[in-house]
Amino acid sequence: MTKQVLIIGGGAGATILANSLNKRDFETTVVSASAQHLFQPALLYIAFSNASAKVTRDERSLLARHVRFVHDAVTHVDLNRQVATTAGGAHLEYDYVVLATGMSPDLSSIPGLSEVDDRYGDYHSSVAQAQKLWRNLDNFEGGTIALGQSFPIIKCPPSPLEGILLADRLLRRRGLREKSHLVYFTPYPRPYPAAPMSELIEPILKDRGIEVFTFFDVDRIDPATQTIHSIEGDQIHYDLPIVIPPFGGAKVTFEPPEVVDADRFVIVDKQTLRVKGTDSAFAIGDGSNVPTSKAGVGAHLEAKVVARTLAGHAATFDGRTNCPFDLGDGRGTFVVGSFDAPVVKAAPSRLKHFMKMAFARIYWLSLRGTLEPIFSAYFALTRPARRPAEPQARV
Amino acid sequence: MEQTATTTLVDSRGSACPGPITDLALAYRRSKVGDVIELWATDPGVKPDVRAWAAKTGNQVMSIEDHDGKIVVVVQITKR
Repeated sequence: MTKQVLIIGGGAGATILANSLNKRDFETTVVSASAQHLFQPALLYIAFSNASAKVTRDERSLLARHVRFVHDAVTHVDLNRQVATTAGGAHLEYDYVVLATGMSPDLSSIPGLSEVDDRYGDYHSSVAQAQKLWRNLDNFEGGTIALGQSFPIIKCPPSPLEGILLADRLLRRRGLREKSHLVYFTPYPRPYPAAPMSELIEPILKDRGIEVFTFFDVDRIDPATQTIHSIEGDQIHYDLPIVIPPFGGAKVTFEPPEVVDADRFVIVDKQTLRVKGTDSAFAIGDGSNVPTSKAGVGAHLEAKVVARTLAGHAATFDGRTNCPFDLGDGRGTFVVGSFDAPVVKAAPSRLKHFMKMAFARIYWLSLRGTLEPIFSAYFALTRPARRPAEPQARV
Repeated sequence: MEQTATTTLVDSRGSACPGPITDLALAYRRSKVGDVIELWATDPGVKPDVRAWAAKTGNQVMSIEDHDGKIVVVVQITKR
C-alpha cells in the first residue's frame, strides 16, 4: 500500500526529497506558498555585481511528474491528527509529513531595522531586496559601508564575509576604495565563527583595509544619526548599511506547540531528523534546529536521509557542511565539517572559486536527482576527518 | 514589574559549524542582569571564546569545568 507523504516547503530540500520518492511506494504532495523556486546563493551576486542570470524557476517544472504540487501556504500542522491546514482552507492528510519550511525574516525584532532594510535592501531575503541593495551600491560615491549580521543565526555563514569582500572588490573597480571605509561587524569573537577558517580570513581582511568589530550584537539602529548600536555598548556610523536580518523558523503553528523552540525552529533529533515526540514527522533544511550551518548542502543531505528512512532503510545525518566561500579576488575556499569533525583550514584556490560558480549552473539538475551519484562520490571523497571519540550527547 | 533571574541550560555538545559561541550569543540576547547561563560543549575552543566574550561584555565567568570531554561553562549576566 502506498504511503501518503506531505512535504511542506518549496526549496532545495523539499524538491530533492520529493524527487527521491518513487511512485510505487509513495503518493507525494509538495505544498508551498511560492510557485517559484529561488536559487538563494544568487542573491549575493545580484546585490554585489548586478548578476542577471535567471535565478528562479517554476517549482512544478522541477518536480517529477508523479509528484502533486499544491500552491498554498500551510498555516497549521496538527501532528497528532496528521493533517495540515492551509491559508486557502484545504486540509491535507498524510501518513508522513516533512517540514521543509525554511526560515523567515524577523525585521521587527530590532528597532530601526525595518526602515533600514526597506531603504537599502539586503541580500538574504528576496530578489527585489538584492536588486535594491545593488542600486544603492551602484549609486554609492564614497563614505562608510557597514556590513554584518544582526542575529547569531543566519543563512549561509560565509555570506557576511563574502559580502564585505565583494563590496571591497566593487569599490576598487570603481576607483572609490580610497574614498571609502569598510566596516564588518559580527556577534562572534572573530570574523568567522570557526577559528581555523577565521585564521585564514583575518589576514585577507587586514590586507584589504576592512575594519572589524567582533562581539557586536546589534541592539538597535538609529536611522536619524545613521548609527548601529550593539548590546555590548559599541556603535558604528554608516553611510550605507548592509544589515543581514534576523531569521527565525517559518510562521506556522503546530499541535503540539512544543515542537518548536523560541525562534520557531522545529525541534528534531539531529541524526534521524524526526520531530520531537513523533514517528510520522520529520524536518529538514533551514527550518529545523539541527546544530549545523543553514545552507543548501544540509537540506540536500537531510532530504536523502529522510528518503532512505521512508524507504525502510537505516539512515542518519552526520551534520556535514560544505559551504563555498568567495574571497572576492577570484579565489574561493570551502567550509567543511560535521558533528564529529571540526572545521579545518582549507587553502583558497581559483579551482574552488570555479567550483562555486559552476554549482550555480548545475543546481537545477541537482534538484532532479540525476547528479546524485556524482554528489555521493564528492561527499565521500571530501569527508572531513573525525576528532577523537567523545561522549555521546544525552538529552 | 521586576523579573525573576533565571538559569538557562544551553546544550551545544556536538554542535557543528558555527558552533557553541552561536548558542551563547543567542542566550545572551535573551538574558537579563542576574541570569545564569550554563553552556555545555564538546569543542575545546569554547574556553578561550567564553573568556574573551566575558572580558568584552563585562559579564562574569563563574566556572569552566571538564567532565570527560563535556565542557561545562557557567556565566552570570552582570551587564546588559
